Amino acid sequence: MHTPSSTSIPSAQTQPSAAGNNANIRANIRFERVGFRYTRDVEILSDVSFSLPRGSMTFVTGPSGAGKTTLLKLIYLHMQPSRGLITVFGQDTSQIDRKAIPTLKRRMGIVLQDFDLVDHLNVFENVALPLRVAGRKQATYRDDVLGLLKWVGLGARAHVLPQMLSGGEKQRAAIARAVIAKPEILIADEPTGNVDQDIARRLIRLFKEMNRLGTTVVIATHNTDLISEDANVLALTNGQVSRINTGMRVKV
Amino acid sequence: MTEILGVNAQALLPDNKKTDRPLFMVFAILAFLATLTLLASAAGYRASADWRSDLAESITVQVKPRAELNRGPNGEPSDPAIARNILLQLSAVKSVTILPPERSQELLEPWLGDTPLPDDLPLPTLLDVRLHAGQILDSQQADAALLAANIRADIDDHRQWDREIKRTTRAAQTISLTALVLIITASITAAIFATRAAITGQRRLIDVLHQVGAPPSYTARLFSTSFAMVGLKAGGVGAVAALLLSTLIGLLFSSSGGFSYFQPGLHMAFFDLYLVVAVPVILAIIIAIASWRTILKTLFEEIYP
Ligand SMILES: Nc1ncnc2c1ncn2[C@@H]1O[C@H](COP(=O)(O)OP(=O)(O)OP(=O)(O)O)[C@@H](O)[C@H]1O
Ligand SMILES: [Mg+2]
Repeated sequence: MHTPSSTSIPSAQTQPSAAGNNANIRANIRFERVGFRYTRDVEILSDVSFSLPRGSMTFVTGPSGAGKTTLLKLIYLHMQPSRGLITVFGQDTSQIDRKAIPTLKRRMGIVLQDFDLVDHLNVFENVALPLRVAGRKQATYRDDVLGLLKWVGLGARAHVLPQMLSGGEKQRAAIARAVIAKPEILIADEPTGNVDQDIARRLIRLFKEMNRLGTTVVIATHNTDLISEDANVLALTNGQVSRINTGMRVKV
Repeated sequence: MTEILGVNAQALLPDNKKTDRPLFMVFAILAFLATLTLLASAAGYRASADWRSDLAESITVQVKPRAELNRGPNGEPSDPAIARNILLQLSAVKSVTILPPERSQELLEPWLGDTPLPDDLPLPTLLDVRLHAGQILDSQQADAALLAANIRADIDDHRQWDREIKRTTRAAQTISLTALVLIITASITAAIFATRAAITGQRRLIDVLHQVGAPPSYTARLFSTSFAMVGLKAGGVGAVAALLLSTLIGLLFSSSGGFSYFQPGLHMAFFDLYLVVAVPVILAIIIAIASWRTILKTLFEEIYP
């Protein structure tokens, strides 16, 4: 097991700029009576309301099909709600100009349930993608990427293609890609689904580390063993919030 | 690493040497055809321009003999002299030379042989009219002026010839233009096809780029520059091949003493070399635009709703 020598992530030199002193005061993500349907008949989410404070860390739980992935997709601007109001970074998502979406996405890190690694790019290149898209030159990020890969236990796998990785390794590569650009919001869908408890705890520690540096973290998971007693939880059942504890009172 | 417009296309897209080969062939063939068409039409244009300027610079006017001749003080027929003065007044005319009667006899030789002609046989007098460079004689105006002086003359101004050459040139240009339009259409179609295939094949990369916050223009640039590069290289190969072929044809024809239109003289070599650069560049631009538009359309329809 690789254990980080220091408590900080090697690549994280600065806090995400938006995570200021009043991190606990302002909501970073806010749902008000949100409803969502993929098709006309079934409403997958109904009347979902919550606020996630800036700099908070929240677990979204619930049985398979409860709507966790759907909720995350709404947060990372993949789609718009059928009804209700969603604000992210203080902006009403229905009002966001299409051209501004890429910029907002660059302030988020996303780990999807099926990893979405690019087959023909090696682990290093996959993880470095957000930095390249942001216009940075390889010379300026090489060490950051290699350091982070070492931290998630992929130091020796930097130059292999994703097809050579185990499920858990792919997952760690996807997580590394989500955190490399030090996003203000980190969204992870079932990030510990394919790994043993040990690695799962390590990954959760990585998320906690990100959170400590000011990133708002939202993790959807089945794996309730990983969730500590005092953690913030948003439990979904059949598309509705069944239990909520996000460190912020909901007012609708 | 090749950075194009800030995008390192080579390293983000898979190395597609094998899959790009058919596309390379198509673009090379299209560039070959386009270059050949342009070379041929340029050669044709130059040939017709040469003919026309040769013809236009000198005009022959035949002053017809008459029963009662106007005579000068020395008894010589004065019609040619009058005609000469009239012609000199026209703005296009530089000089007029009255050719000696032997030249008129030469004109009849094919029919009469070189038997000496009786002195009093009325022969037309030939005037060699030289024009200012680039000017055209208005033969109707000249005719009218001569008639007013009661002189009958035939103005052989090659107008008919000229018209033929012009018509042929125009027909050839229309054919070339049609061919070029078709070649451009084929290039656009091939680029759109290839882009659609790439979008399908690289769907995950496109999704991931979207997910990590790449704007549509970034993704579009990635693909369109990579296709434009294929077009540029293939276009270069095709254009050079076309130039070599046309040079070869030119050499073959000129060594057999036939047409020389294809022979690259020094003055045309510059234009031909310019074509070899211009065709691939234009092809690459056309491909880039077609591919850019195709991918943006897909991105806005499917990924960035
Ligand atoms: N693209 C889609 N079109 C139609 N229905 C969908 C679509 N995606 C998901 N659903 C449906 O929405 C419901 C919620 O799906 P979602 O993926 O959000 O669940 P989940 O809580 O993430 O489940 P899991 O734990 O299995 O990942 C499911 O019933 C699913 O069938
Ligand atoms: Mg899910």
